[in-house]
Amino acid sequence: MTRFLVRRISLIVVTLFVVSAAIFAITEILPGDVAQMVMGQGATEQNLKHIRETLGLDRPAPVRYLEWIGGVVRGDMGDSFVQKIPVTEVIEPRLANSLILAAFAFLVAVPSAVAIGVWMGVRHGSKTDHAVSVGSLVAISLPEFVTGVLLIVVFSSFLGWFPSSSAILPGTSPLTRPLILVLPTLTLTGVLFAYIMRMTRANVIEVLNTQYVRTAVLKGLPMRRVLLRHVVPNAMLPTISVIAVNMGWMLGGLIIVENVFAYPGLGQLLLTSINTRDVPLLQTLALIIAGTYALSNLVADLSYGALDPRIRLT
Amino acid sequence: MATTTTATLETTTRSASAAQPLLKVDGLSVTFFTPTGAVHAVRDASFEIKRGEVVGLVGESGCGKSTMAYAIMGYLPGEPEVGGAVYLDGQDMAEFGPAELRKLRGNRIAMVYQDPALALNPTMKVGHQILEAISEHLDLDAAQAAQRMAELIESVGLPDPERIAESYPHQLSGGQQQRIVIAMALACDPDLLLMDEPTTGLDVTTEATILDLVADLKGRVNAGILYVSHNLGVVARIADRVVVMYAGQTVEEAPVRDLFKDPRHPYTVGLLSCVPKPVADEGAVTRLQSIQGSVFPSTQADPGMCLFSDRCPMATDRCTAEAPEPVSVSAAHGSRCFYPHDVSPDLWNESVEREAPHENGKEPTLTVKGLHRVYGKWQRKYLFFGPKVKPPVRAVENVDFNVGAGRTVGIVGESGSGKSTVARSIVGLVPRDSGDVELRGEELSAEADERNADQKGSIRMVFQNPTSSLNPKLPVRHNILRPLQKFTDMSAKEREERACELLESVGLDASYMDRQPLQLSGGQQQRVALAAAFAGDPELIVADEPVSALDVSVQAQVLNLLEDHQREKGTSYVFISHDLGVVRYVSDEILVLYAGHVAECGPAEDVLSAPSHPYTEALLSAAPIPDPDAIPTPIRLGGSVPKQHEQFKGCFFASRCPRKIGDICDNTPPPVQTSPGSPTHEVHCHIPLDELERLQSSPVESRA
Repeated sequence: MTRFLVRRISLIVVTLFVVSAAIFAITEILPGDVAQMVMGQGATEQNLKHIRETLGLDRPAPVRYLEWIGGVVRGDMGDSFVQKIPVTEVIEPRLANSLILAAFAFLVAVPSAVAIGVWMGVRHGSKTDHAVSVGSLVAISLPEFVTGVLLIVVFSSFLGWFPSSSAILPGTSPLTRPLILVLPTLTLTGVLFAYIMRMTRANVIEVLNTQYVRTAVLKGLPMRRVLLRHVVPNAMLPTISVIAVNMGWMLGGLIIVENVFAYPGLGQLLLTSINTRDVPLLQTLALIIAGTYALSNLVADLSYGALDPRIRLT
Repeated sequence: MATTTTATLETTTRSASAAQPLLKVDGLSVTFFTPTGAVHAVRDASFEIKRGEVVGLVGESGCGKSTMAYAIMGYLPGEPEVGGAVYLDGQDMAEFGPAELRKLRGNRIAMVYQDPALALNPTMKVGHQILEAISEHLDLDAAQAAQRMAELIESVGLPDPERIAESYPHQLSGGQQQRIVIAMALACDPDLLLMDEPTTGLDVTTEATILDLVADLKGRVNAGILYVSHNLGVVARIADRVVVMYAGQTVEEAPVRDLFKDPRHPYTVGLLSCVPKPVADEGAVTRLQSIQGSVFPSTQADPGMCLFSDRCPMATDRCTAEAPEPVSVSAAHGSRCFYPHDVSPDLWNESVEREAPHENGKEPTLTVKGLHRVYGKWQRKYLFFGPKVKPPVRAVENVDFNVGAGRTVGIVGESGSGKSTVARSIVGLVPRDSGDVELRGEELSAEADERNADQKGSIRMVFQNPTSSLNPKLPVRHNILRPLQKFTDMSAKEREERACELLESVGLDASYMDRQPLQLSGGQQQRVALAAAFAGDPELIVADEPVSALDVSVQAQVLNLLEDHQREKGTSYVFISHDLGVVRYVSDEILVLYAGHVAECGPAEDVLSAPSHPYTEALLSAAPIPDPDAIPTPIRLGGSVPKQHEQFKGCFFASRCPRKIGDICDNTPPPVQTSPGSPTHEVHCHIPLDELERLQSSPVESRA
């Protein structure tokens, strides 16, 4: 077990290195440059040169990368090119906001998706099942920016229940105005819910057809007990990996949703940092996203190992 | 011990009058309605089970045996039409509502399933799975229930109940899993125990121990047992009475001895005459008989005639004009035949002597020398560094043998003994770690890809399960034309003709060329696979359990086909099977493998008669013989084949050997002994041959 953890965590570190190098290389290839972005169109050649020198951009790319990565290893993520303050300070409040949104979406989507998935699996073939299946397919096919806008039109413009913009003043927490979280959460939940629900439903149907469920029924157990003790635990095993992969999905969704609702989270910050070529900020954000992805997969493997006695993590 | 629990835990008042049968199945029929039409799984079945009696239910696959067992449980998929009646203690089970049925299941009627690995919940500890059955039906507190669980585990012959109860199914061997399933079935002292092929998926040595357990249960529990099996040998060993099913009908019913010694239905006689007998020499002298054709399809409605008439050698006009009703031959013996008194044991032709096998020539077709193969590598503590922690899995070690031209070498052993690895190494599907494989003295590359077309065409393989080894998307034509195209230089027209000839040679005709494999029965599929293997006129055919997935009547057809081809073309065979009777029937030489090591090899008769290696002896002792008078030999093997690549310090068989003589077995590898009378007969054992012979002529006490 320890061996497994040590191995997986070192693999994650290697992955993050590769990701950071790749991101760095991509920002090098991208047209446009930081100095121009910082100074704006009217900047003179003199000013640009000065900026490049203060930011250290005149030195060769590999040197800059090594310097930056050296800092990261020591816990120093560097300063934002644009805002001139440590990257960590820029990210911190945004990270909290995004985590709040993600947590809400997760807490809404996963339990309801699992519950409804089990129910539909048991009643597969019924009219309700068909309706839910079609609905979930629609949810999967619609991208977040469409569902988001649709929800705004219906619940904000038309019904006026929730605000259409989720922008908040810097330094305030979204939790002080919980209403603004509703629509972004719903948007983010859509795809996540549909995927997990469909997966749970399919697994429940499969497990219901296994011989050990037949054994349980022919033991004379009541159906409720057969479902809770035999069907659901086994059906959840493959669902867990889907949930983990969906964490990555959700990160992609966050970027879109935060921009649609003008919510000040990591996704919005990421887009800004790309536009301004704020490499240290972009790098750090990329590392956070890649790290979350890798960690959620690790968590999935661990929970899989905990739930399925046949899997020994070595 | 079980009797005390029975006494103390008797909770329900069970009114059972002695006269009334425990279970009475009366004219039962089950029809399923599928999108493609009605399926008549059970057409007309009647029989009874009394308390304390084991009734064997036999028949080929598709005869409705399992459906009947599940119908008794009231557990059938979909909404089938059920006719007739099932009475439990005189009460019509159709009157039970869902709640009453649930109270019955696992309590008064319990079931044991074919595949214990699938029948147990993989994510629940087995102790808990047993507890569920106890606490659902019995009014016991937690401590009493736990106590009962431990007693149950012990009563099915599992040591250390505490440890076993805390295990998950995958941590137990197949035999242990089946014991747990049986313990679960016994949880509430059922009145009726339904066992659906409970030993079919198990090794022959494990099967023997489970059968011993069932025989033991018979004396201990006061339940009626319905034992469903396709294996006549198994039924002969444990049943008191036998019911034979054919195409959804019960066709014969008799006490076990009468059924085997004096069968009164042509189908029963047919079944008995197509099973090769394991030990007796006579089994290998006469040609196997087979029942031509296949079981009357369950998709057809009742035609108002004898359903067996199209396969029956004594069918008359009357048989096709009206349907026979069961008649009584004697007090306890019934047969669904118009002419039960004309049925004779040699009904299926006179016994024909087999043609003599080819002489063992000087130059062998295939030579295997020092074959060695392990799977995986040593795992180290830290990925690539640190001490070695987990050894690779052993497959085969140092296996040598020759196959003469036109001869058959049979390979036997339990699962995990390395049989399939040997077969795959010969055809080049599995690379070998060391050793040589030579075809007519010509060295073959380890991997099939590196062999030339000629070499590939000379060695062909037949697999166990034809349904999965034939591509379901491609017609029969492709399977046969492809090897002809690859391995011969015939023109397209010649190939087509040859393909038709090949199909005819396996008893199919040209009309099968454009059929899809899935439209054929299992036996027909395997015959197509054989025709494809014969296609390039190979010198050697490696057959890995080619008849294990087939019914006995079809098995006989396939074995006869293989034999005819060999006599005609002089093809050599490597024939792998776990069934000693089959191996005995087809083989000229036999190789007994255990844990990847050769335990014994030599001419078939010498290997299968004393003096034998103790492992061969145990296999022979475990093999079920379709004769109720056969005296069961008490040698049983516990445990299972060691899987890890342990460098066996002493004898590879020492950990399970019933005849272990002492430290020498643990510490010194066994010498190779050859018998003076038969120089090619090798036994790898420390015990001198004359001593082995003496020991094996007198029975031993079984070892726990």
